[in-house]
Amino acid sequence: MASIARCLRAARPAAFSAVVRNSAARTIGVRAFSVTATNEIRKYTKEHEWIDLSADKKTGVLGISEYAAKQLGDIVYVELPEEGKEVQAGDSIGAVESVKSASDINAPVSCKITQINLVLEEKPGTINQVAEDDSHGGGWIAKVQVTEEGLKDLEKLMDVAAYEEFTVAEGEK
Amino acid sequence: MALPSCLKAFTRRISNSSPKPHLTCPSPTEIRRYTQHLSRPLQIYRSASTDPYLNLSIEHHLLQRSHPDSTILFLYANRPSVVIGRNQNPWLEVNLGALRQGLPPTQDERGEETARKNTPIALVRRRSGGGTVFHDAGNTNYSVICPPPAFDRDKHAEMVVRALGRLGVAGVRVNERHDIVMDVDTNKTFKVSGSAYKLTRARSLHHGTCLLRSENLGRVSGLLRSPAEAFIKARGVESVRSPIRNVGVDGEAFVDAVVGEFRNMYGDGAGREVVVGEEEALASEEVVKGLRELTSPDWIFGQTPQFTFSTHPTEDDPRERPEIAHALPYDFHAQFTVRHGEIQSAAIAGLEYHDFVDAASQDEILSNALVKQRVHYIKDWSTTLTRASPVPVDVDDAGEFLNHMFGIRPPADKGGAVAELMTGMISDTVVGEFLNGNIDL
Repeated sequence: MASIARCLRAARPAAFSAVVRNSAARTIGVRAFSVTATNEIRKYTKEHEWIDLSADKKTGVLGISEYAAKQLGDIVYVELPEEGKEVQAGDSIGAVESVKSASDINAPVSCKITQINLVLEEKPGTINQVAEDDSHGGGWIAKVQVTEEGLKDLEKLMDVAAYEEFTVAEGEK
Repeated sequence: MALPSCLKAFTRRISNSSPKPHLTCPSPTEIRRYTQHLSRPLQIYRSASTDPYLNLSIEHHLLQRSHPDSTILFLYANRPSVVIGRNQNPWLEVNLGALRQGLPPTQDERGEETARKNTPIALVRRRSGGGTVFHDAGNTNYSVICPPPAFDRDKHAEMVVRALGRLGVAGVRVNERHDIVMDVDTNKTFKVSGSAYKLTRARSLHHGTCLLRSENLGRVSGLLRSPAEAFIKARGVESVRSPIRNVGVDGEAFVDAVVGEFRNMYGDGAGREVVVGEEEALASEEVVKGLRELTSPDWIFGQTPQFTFSTHPTEDDPRERPEIAHALPYDFHAQFTVRHGEIQSAAIAGLEYHDFVDAASQDEILSNALVKQRVHYIKDWSTTLTRASPVPVDVDDAGEFLNHMFGIRPPADKGGAVAELMTGMISDTVVGEFLNGNIDL
């Protein structure tokens, strides 16, 4: 995900910070009820992608953050990654379009794409509703196999609390 | 001392057509390789090319390779082109048949035709989002590339509004769609400039058109109206139609005014504008890589989001359909779903088979044989349907109807698949000659 911080910020900076705090809090709440989430590790990139690493550290699910989805506005199309493709951290794996903007989605870690969320092609607005939901019907973008290199990449990413701090700081810049 | 590349002679391995295409170069006093400037904090470029594919590839190169903290202004004008957004459908947005015909010769003041042949119109899919626009020499494009934290959808459209104000154009403003519109009288508003954006990890790009003195405004609406509009339901992005007009200023004056406003915003650090010539742009491997991608049928047509064509209302697309050609069999139905240009599923029914056969099962066999075919490579629907049927079938009218819907003129009529049409039109240009290896730098 590209950095999209300034798109709407000028208009309502205070409102955004509030939204971010709420959404982060809500995310944590949702995860507590999620069956698959018990041992997963969630990390975020500065470019607003998230990735959940499975307990065995071999597979993951990725998407773009609620914060990014709000900033982007109405998402009208999602270009999904290519199944089977092996990518390095930071590589562009797809794109979302909103408000005449094509924004790259980047791989948060080195990985191999094993499954894509085809629902998003038909219902791109799902990302605006449940961007960080990795379950059926959620706004997740792809399921991946995480390589050893990918595990190292993961260490450089932010955890939920650090990402919340990061987005709040971005909102106040 | 190394010679500036423009002064080197280039050879053509084949010379067949005339007039011969030639590469544009800046004049010797303007020569400074543009790639030398990519690390400067402020950069201003103008393209000497009018090729839409090359200009977008230069722009993409600037987006990818300029210093992440730099701010860049790039200005260019294209030969006649229809430019669709990244996630649009050319069969839905464009009248491919009209595009194929090109623009008719215009007359000069003495009433003499300025060209003997029609001027071709390029079909281009850009990398940014948004809807379809028309470009020609009377339209100048501006593009601003900046670091993501500085990105704002209106900021540089406002810069262009100030530039237009400087030139005495009144009543222009940025609207809620981030386009520049002109209010004429109290109740008429026309679009004069359209905005689109591409956001990458490291950089943000905002580019926009500006209609200055286009002579083709009356033709734009026809070019951007597809005969298949009522039959196609597409995922992706649909254009929003707006009445358009020219602002009525010269290209040079517009460029100077936009450059002036850019300097007002960011200071004089950019120095003189750098003119990018075709030859030096084509000398960059990265530009050429982008160019090959932009000119490939896989990008222009294959990038199309999934769509369904249906001659009759469906659950997903219940719109009433216009009456289709009278000559078609009474109960003719055609429906197919196309993903990235490839037919995923098809249901053709109501064709008249010559043998005494079960029509329904023949329909099914024929429909299945269409699956996996790529729509942009279909040369003639009559041939395609005939080949798909194991028994003789009357397909002339259905074929003609589908050809019309998908912008195909059959080979017998000096036509061919739309992919071939596009590659053929590109081959005739200097950029096409270069890509085909007929021009050496």
